[in-house]
Amino acid sequence: MTGPGLPDDNVHATMRVALWCVTALLLVGLSLRPLLTQHYRQHWLAVTAFVALAGVTAVSSGWVLRRRPMPPALTAVGTATALAAGYCATSAVGAGAHFGAADWSFGLVEWYLLLLLLDRVALLLAALATHLALSVALFLAAGQPDRVDIGAVGIVVLGGATVQLAVVVIARALARGTRRTTAAIAARDRMRTRLLLAEGWERGQRNDFAGQLGLTLPLLAELADGLADPRDPDTRRRCALAATQLRRLFAENDESPDPLVHEITACVDIAERRGVVVSLAVSGSTVAVPAAVRHELTGPVVAALSAARDRARVSVLRTVAEVRVAVVTDAEGARTAPPGAADVEVEYGSYGRDRRMEARWRRPSS
Amino acid sequence: MAQAEQLTAVIVDDHPAVRDGVTHWLATGTPPIRVVAAGDDVRVAWVGDGATADVVILDLHLGRTIPAMGELRRLTQAGRRVVVYSMRADDAIALQCLELGALSYLTKVEGSQHLIEATVTAAAGRAYTPPSLAGALAGDRSSNRPALSARETEVLVEWFQSESKDFVAQRLGISPSTVNTHLEHIRVKYAMRGRQAPTKAALVARAIQDGLVQLDDL
Repeated sequence: MTGPGLPDDNVHATMRVALWCVTALLLVGLSLRPLLTQHYRQHWLAVTAFVALAGVTAVSSGWVLRRRPMPPALTAVGTATALAAGYCATSAVGAGAHFGAADWSFGLVEWYLLLLLLDRVALLLAALATHLALSVALFLAAGQPDRVDIGAVGIVVLGGATVQLAVVVIARALARGTRRTTAAIAARDRMRTRLLLAEGWERGQRNDFAGQLGLTLPLLAELADGLADPRDPDTRRRCALAATQLRRLFAENDESPDPLVHEITACVDIAERRGVVVSLAVSGSTVAVPAAVRHELTGPVVAALSAARDRARVSVLRTVAEVRVAVVTDAEGARTAPPGAADVEVEYGSYGRDRRMEARWRRPSS
Repeated sequence: MAQAEQLTAVIVDDHPAVRDGVTHWLATGTPPIRVVAAGDDVRVAWVGDGATADVVILDLHLGRTIPAMGELRRLTQAGRRVVVYSMRADDAIALQCLELGALSYLTKVEGSQHLIEATVTAAAGRAYTPPSLAGALAGDRSSNRPALSARETEVLVEWFQSESKDFVAQRLGISPSTVNTHLEHIRVKYAMRGRQAPTKAALVARAIQDGLVQLDDL
């Protein structure tokens, strides 16, 4: 019914240990003395019953004390032994001694049944009822009881049954409580994992974004500290580069049917705002470009455009075999170092007053 | 006498500002080209002075959404030298215009110099390939595209990328006239495929005459 390690098992294992101690204690502490001192019709029968019950205690200890569930076969044999021992011990009792001190087995067997069938409530109730019926039958068979006797027996039976049922109810309540607690702990653990994941993701996003911001943050810091002079042409060039990078970053996250051209258009837009006359030409139908490759293709465009002075020619060409993005400008000043590219080949060259950059991506042949 | 030798053109465009602007560009260019007729309907190229103009400058859209491919085909079938002058840079339409026999396809963002050069070249029965058209040819992925040599492809791409023949010549270590020769050669290859048109036949004949292609190449 329940697999190993489940909360019900833990509760039952603990309660079984307690019940085992109870049976052992009752057997040795409360039952041995009447067995030795009381008078029985067939003393050997009572002793046999006692030994059988002691055997059940001894055998079950191997599983119970190690907190393992007992095998069904053992449970069945144990239950049968307990019921039979109860019947034998009770039948050995002389008339009028039923449910009295000499009838030590009545309550004891009930504890044995509890020990053996704690997690099988229906069987337990059936076994308890059988035991009760046998005991009452023997009691009635032994002679005509008077009303006082019946009252006394009723109290003993009721008292015993109440205690056993209370144990069953407690076991179930404990199991239920433990189940809830375990579920709550598991839910809390899941929540904690999700929280950790979310934190990690957020950290990743932050790092990514900071990485994508590129030169913007240090440049802003330098401007704020007065280290960079806005009148300096070099500072202005860095501002142009940072602005183009930012614009590309925004464009990267847009939904567009042609993301490559969309990003390049965004870069062109920034250059035009700076007063650069840009002619943009796109040729060849749209092809799918992976985001990482797109980033490598547009990176050099950002750098080349931000270095342009008055004019720039930007072209995107998609042929059968490759995607080629080129920028020809009248750039001046030191060339921005080409960023390391894994999939894209970047070529730079100066021709007279013109500077050319071309990024080529060879499409994997499909 | 000089008047008789002057090149003539007819402009078909639905925007008066474009007609006037192009007329001005052509009149003040080198060499000056006289616009003999202009209008928003292709009729001006068939009747009156427009019927005998050397070059037809045709706006493909003429205020409609569907490009005037039928008008272009009728003009080229009649042997008219047509320069398509379009608002849109659409590779497929540009290639289709070449297929129908247009000698050039220009987008309106390309400046006056390209238009003048295209008109002068067309008047001589030759093809002119502006950078945008070079891009369309380089990006042509159709199955029946002609096979271009590696050098021809490089010329097309570099011309598309830089818009400067001097730049291309410098990059590839050839003379600017060799750049032109390559471009013409490519156009002849394109003219030789697909449907026949008098202008395309004339283009090929011209190329053979100039020694640009050998008869064996055909």
